[in-house]
Order: sequence, then C-alpha cells, then structure tokens
Amino acid sequence: MSSTEMAVDVHGLTKSFGAVHALRGLDLTVPTGQVTGFLGPNGSGKTTTIRILLGLLKADGGQVSLLGGDPWAEAVALHGRIAYVPGDVTLWPDLTGGEAIDILCRLSGPLDLKRKKSMLERFELDPTKKARTYSKGNRQKVALVAALASEAELLLLDEPTSGLDPLMEAAFTESIREVKAQGRSVLLSSHIFAEVEKLADRVTIIRDGATVESGTIAELRHLTRTQVTTVLDGGTDGLAALPGVHDLVVVDGRVSFAVDDLGLPRVLSAVAALRPRSLVANPPSLEALFLRHYGDELASLTTGSQK
Amino acid sequence: MTTTVPARQIAAPTTTHSSSDTLAGLGTMVRLILRRNRVRLAVWLVVLVGMFAYIASYYRTLFPTQQSLDDFAAVSDTPGIKALTGLSAAADTMGGAVWTKGWMTIVLSLAIGAAFLVTRSGRADEEVGRTELLRSRMLGVHAYAAASWLVNGLLCVAVGLGVALVSTANGLDPEGTGLAGSFILGASITGIGLVGLGIGAVAGQVASTSRGANALASAVTIGFYVLRMVGDLGNGALAWASPIGWGQQMQPYAGNQWWPFALLIALAATLLAVAARTEAMRDHGAGLLAERPGPAEAPRRLASPLGLGLRLQRGPIIGWTIAVVLAALLFGSIIDAMTTLLTGAGGGVSNLLRGSGVKALLGLLAGMIGLITAIFATQSTVSLRTDEASGIVEPQLAGALSRTRWALERLLIPAVGSVVLLLVGGGLLGAVYGSVIGDPSQAMTMAGAALAYWPAVMVLVGVAVALFGWLPRLAIPVTWGVMAAMWFAMMLGEVFGLPTWLLDALPFSAVPYLPLEPMSWTPLVIMTLAAGALVWTGLARFARRDVQVG
Repeated sequence: MSSTEMAVDVHGLTKSFGAVHALRGLDLTVPTGQVTGFLGPNGSGKTTTIRILLGLLKADGGQVSLLGGDPWAEAVALHGRIAYVPGDVTLWPDLTGGEAIDILCRLSGPLDLKRKKSMLERFELDPTKKARTYSKGNRQKVALVAALASEAELLLLDEPTSGLDPLMEAAFTESIREVKAQGRSVLLSSHIFAEVEKLADRVTIIRDGATVESGTIAELRHLTRTQVTTVLDGGTDGLAALPGVHDLVVVDGRVSFAVDDLGLPRVLSAVAALRPRSLVANPPSLEALFLRHYGDELASLTTGSQK
Repeated sequence: MTTTVPARQIAAPTTTHSSSDTLAGLGTMVRLILRRNRVRLAVWLVVLVGMFAYIASYYRTLFPTQQSLDDFAAVSDTPGIKALTGLSAAADTMGGAVWTKGWMTIVLSLAIGAAFLVTRSGRADEEVGRTELLRSRMLGVHAYAAASWLVNGLLCVAVGLGVALVSTANGLDPEGTGLAGSFILGASITGIGLVGLGIGAVAGQVASTSRGANALASAVTIGFYVLRMVGDLGNGALAWASPIGWGQQMQPYAGNQWWPFALLIALAATLLAVAARTEAMRDHGAGLLAERPGPAEAPRRLASPLGLGLRLQRGPIIGWTIAVVLAALLFGSIIDAMTTLLTGAGGGVSNLLRGSGVKALLGLLAGMIGLITAIFATQSTVSLRTDEASGIVEPQLAGALSRTRWALERLLIPAVGSVVLLLVGGGLLGAVYGSVIGDPSQAMTMAGAALAYWPAVMVLVGVAVALFGWLPRLAIPVTWGVMAAMWFAMMLGEVFGLPTWLLDALPFSAVPYLPLEPMSWTPLVIMTLAAGALVWTGLARFARRDVQVG
C-alpha cells in the first residue's frame, strides 16, 4: 500500500491570512519510520504547516496527505493515529497536570497507564500539581508525556523541547529514538540544530513559506563545504587560489578555510605537499547548512549592526 | 518519494469536515466542562432559583390579602417600574407581584451568565491554545462547543424548572388556572437563557479574544434590554424587537402564552446553527474579524503606564463611550413621550424610583448612565489584576517604574474616564430632552445629576483596588460579585429584609437623587474619602506583596 510509504506528503501548499502569505508553495515529506527535521527561522511557516496537518487551518491550495488521508476532512479519524506537541503549551490553570494528561489521552482512545507512568517518571513530572503552578518547562512536559504515552503512528512535534533543561532534552532524545525503533514516524520542527542532527534522517529547510532544501542529511552535506583547519610547515602558497577553496585565513600559523566537496581531492593533495603538522576537517554542520540558506539575511544583519 | 500517495486536492474553500466525526469526544468534553465549572454552575442555579424562592415566600407574608395585592399593583404601575423590570400582566396576583420583582433580574443574569460560561470553554480556551491541544486528538470540530452548549443549556433548563417548581410549591398560580403560569414562567426564563447562550456562541465566533466575545455578548444582551425598555415605555412595538420582550409576552399567570417560547427557541437554535456553521468553516484561532497589521513603531507616550493602558483599553473605552452616547440619546428622546403616561400615573413610590414625576424619571435615567459608567470603570480597574495574572505587567515593573506609580497612572483611566462618560451621558440626555421641551438648561442640569454619581463609581473602583491588593487571586470574580450584589440589594434589598440604613448606604443609593432631590454634598464627600482610603489600602498592600502570575 502506497500510504505506508509517506506519513506526510505535502506539495505546493499555500495559505494566506488576509494580506499575509504565510505559505507559498511549500513541499514537505515525512517517510514512514523516519524522523524528518523541519527547520526554518521564526515566522517562516513551520507552525502554520503543522496546524494545516492537524486540520486546524484550511489550506488555500496545494496537496496535503497525512497518513494517506485528508487532514481537514478526516481530522478526527486521523488524529487517532497521531500525537502532537506544541511549542507553547497552555493548560487549564485549575486542573492538575495529571488531569490534563488523562483528558488528552482519553480523547484518542484507552489510556495506557503503564506507559503514562513510565513517561511521568522519565520526565520527572509531578502530576498532582495544579497547572497554574507549573513552569514553562513543566507545561511542556505535560504535552510530551501525553504524546509519548500514546501509540501514535506519527508524531508532530513543534519545537517540543523549548523550555526543557538539558537532562530533559536527553530524555526526549531517548524517547524519540525509541519511537523510531518501533517504526513510527516523526516530524520534528526545531531551532536546535544539534537535536535535529542527532535524531533526523532527513531535513527540510523552509524560508518565507517555501521549501529551499530537502533531503537526507548526507545528501545536503554534499551541497556544502568542509571546514578545514591545519598547521602547515610549508606555508600557504597557492592554496587560496585553488578551485573550491573559500575564506582562507591565517591566524597564529593556523590556516583555516572551507572547501567545496567537489574540490576536496585536489585541495588535500596540495595540503599534503605543504607538510601539514596537524589537520582537522569537520563535515558541515546543519547549522552551516541552515546559515547558508539565510546568508543574505545574516549579511543584512551584519551591515545593520555596523551602521 | 517514488510512490507518492494520491493526495487529494483541498483547495476548494467550502470543504467541510466529514460530518460523522464532528461530535467525536463529546462525552470527555462534557466531563471536562463539568469538572471546571461545577462550582460556577451550582452557584448560578442556587442563587437564581433561591432568589425567586425568597421573593415568593417573602411576598406571601407581606401581601396576605387580595386588597394588599391590589394596592401593590397600583403603586407598581409607574414608568420607572415598567422601564426597569417590566410590569406583570397580572400585577394584582401573588405570582404577578413576584414576577415584577424578580423576573427581569433573573433572565438578564441567566442570559449574560450563559454567554460568559460559553466563552469560558469556547473562545477563551481557543485564544490561549488549549483547544488546539484538544483538537490535535480525536476531538470533532464541534464537540467542545456542543458539550458547552449542552451543559450550559441544561443550566438554563434547570433554572427554569427550578423557578417553575418554586412557583408551584408557593401556589403562585391564580386559582382556577392550574399550574400553567408556573411552567410558562419557567419556560420564559429557560428560553431567554438559551438565547443568551446563542448570543455567546455567535460572539465567540465573531471575536477572536474572550474579552471581545464577552463584551459583544453583554452589549447585545443589554441592547435587547434597552429595546424592551423603550418598547414598554412607548407603544410596545419595539419590545417585539427584543427576545426579552418575547419572554414578557408569555405573560405568566395572566395570558399564559406558549407561542413566544417557540420564538425564543427558534432564535436560540438559529444562533447556535450560525455559530456551528461558522466554526466548521473558519480556521482555528481566527475570528471573523481578521487581524490587521499595525504600526512598526510606538510613539513615546506608549512607554508610560497611562499611555500603554489607554492604548490597550482603546476598544473598551470606545465601546463604552458609544454605549453611553446611544443610551443618552435613547433616554433623552423618550422622556417627553412619557409625560402623558406620567400625568396619569398613581402617586405610589417605589424605593428605586422614589417618585413618579418627570424629575423622578430623569433621576432614574441619570442613575442608569451612572451604572453603565460604573461597569466601564470596574472593567478598567480589574485590568490591573488581569495584567498581573497574565504576566504582562512584569516587564513593565522590571523597568524603572514603581508599582504604585504604575497602578496610579492606570487608575487615571477609570477616574477621569468616568467623569467624561458621566458628563457626556448626562449632558446629551439633558440636551436631547431639553431640545424637545425647549429648555436648553436641561443639559447642564442632567450633566450635574449624572456627575453626582462619580464618587459612587469611585467607591466601586476603590473596592476593586482593595481586592486587587489584598486578595489578588479572587479579585476579579469578587469585584464583579460585589457589583452584582450591590445591584441585587438595590433591586431586592427590602425583600431580603436588609436594614434601611444599609440600603441607603450603598454607593448608588447614597447619591442625591438629582434633579428630584436637592443637592447634598455630605454623602459625596464621604464617598470620595472612602474611595481614596480603599485605593490607598489596596495600593499599599500591592506595593508589599508578591507579584502573582496565574
């Protein structure tokens, strides 16, 4: 069955709020059994996309398939198979965290008490406290426990770790690895590159409501440069002029530059001839990938601060 | 990406949710609403039914003979009573007397209460994102709203039924009419409550904030009340434009008409259908009134608490000004048409009207302007607590700004705003009336009569500030509770056997009843001092206590 191939399949999605074009032809796929990272700066349309996938907003145009169904028309049936964690959780101030979790879980079927208990323990959440006394991180945990206590086939996570401390982030990472091991799918919208890099099989980068880059992390790394730092006894003669070498700087005898992946063989042989004493080569981080796509925005930021 | 799902086109804007699932999760939502509102629902039921029961038992001892009922009917037949509460079609019966005293208060409270309860589980939860969390689960698009309509509709039915049972238990039905009057009475209360629920449901679709939804629902309900008032004072035609008028036309204990009940149910059903239709079509989180982009920069004046407060309360300030202007124009234009009625009215005196002449009516209408102003001032004052609870005051207090200065600047809005509203309302009322009778001095007279309510309004502001300082968590409901209790005491105080000195000491009763009574400065000075003391104690406490979010 084809619907088992893609948990989420979105093509040419558009959505406007009045005169504001939030999405302008966005493409996004989440293959079944994989974790897909969803990156983009604030206001680029990540949350709007997720709300359309939840059937809370109606798309203006384009094609959306969620677990093989239409998220607007079949919202309720599909929601039995998904779990959602928003980035900003609000709860009923006069109810306890435990009550909120039970209400959310019961809506999607019978409550798995054992799973709930183990998740409460993993995230160290006291379910007897009134929600008004919770910090932001604790409110976030309520939504995480409710989502992870389910057997959902697909998890839609919108900056799920905002407000969590590093220990809890680790608990979250562990949970997502378990989900993946069980063959379930995850859409992980995040600002934390390290988290996406650790967990995601694929990444989609969006900007101004449209997809600018999409693929496996390995594929995307091909599109960018390796960062090389080396100490050369033979000087830097001619290195900067080699095709594929960028931004070469020498500080205290340390030579740093970026190399296009295609130019790597020639550059490495040239470096070898210059008698390197040490050499560190880093694959491009997701952060570098991300920044490359927003380079002009960065540039305008820098010029702005120089004024 | 090789074998893509044949994804469906969803561009057609009229697509609706598949109908079978729209109520999925209804039971869980009913339990959630009951869990959150059990105390509120019980309080509404007990207070409203209990009030009716108390009036009934008290009047049975007060009017033991038909002669005493006839006398009471005669003194009740004044424009003031007709304007405020409406006059029963069977005023000379025990049931009619109780109806005249309690019905209007009960239906208005129930209609606005039902609307507020609908907002609490509807727009309020949607605004802050709780509904989004629920809707990400197997919750049908209409389930939460339907559960809220069901629970709050049952409250309306329970209040109606409770009043009907109290009425039969007290034998309020005139002899030979069976129990029809009691159940007509209950049905009229339930029907208007359900209309209020419908108004709240539609308001929650139109407005995108809970504050806006409650304001809209209140304005519409009060508008219906005023339409009925003008209708009852005139030839009665306008009363038919108001569902509250339909409820009156059911004439419990007299005509015992069932068919206006059908009108009420039809209107409530239509309103709910419109709300449901809108809910199915619109995006979650959006209202019909879309957000527009605003200015990118703030002028310097917004940096002060007063400037920011004025900006944030712009909507309510404009809304209440329009309400006062409309009320003044309406009141001013009907006074002369009523002079003929007044000349024929009996000499009876009710506690509220304190007379039956034109001047008494002018005094009553000035008091109404005072009441509208008091609601504005109270709403503006409780925003101190709203801003504290939501945490938006913290960044301001984190700046170089003392708590006392913040609060005092914010209190300028209700203090000065009330002066303006009272002068505008009273002045307009007097000007319109004066232009009809050819007496331009009425504008000044009525502006002064309305302004005399300023100290009373400030006492309410003081109570709100004192509660804000000492009982922050309970401040908002208790403030509105004090407001409502004061209103109930004025309407029903003598029924509950409250001592006269206490009733006369209520801020609104202590105001000299201009232009009927002579001006008296003593109560105004005392109330101004009391208001100042209340504000001082509240702010002194606020400066020392923790800033409490949530």
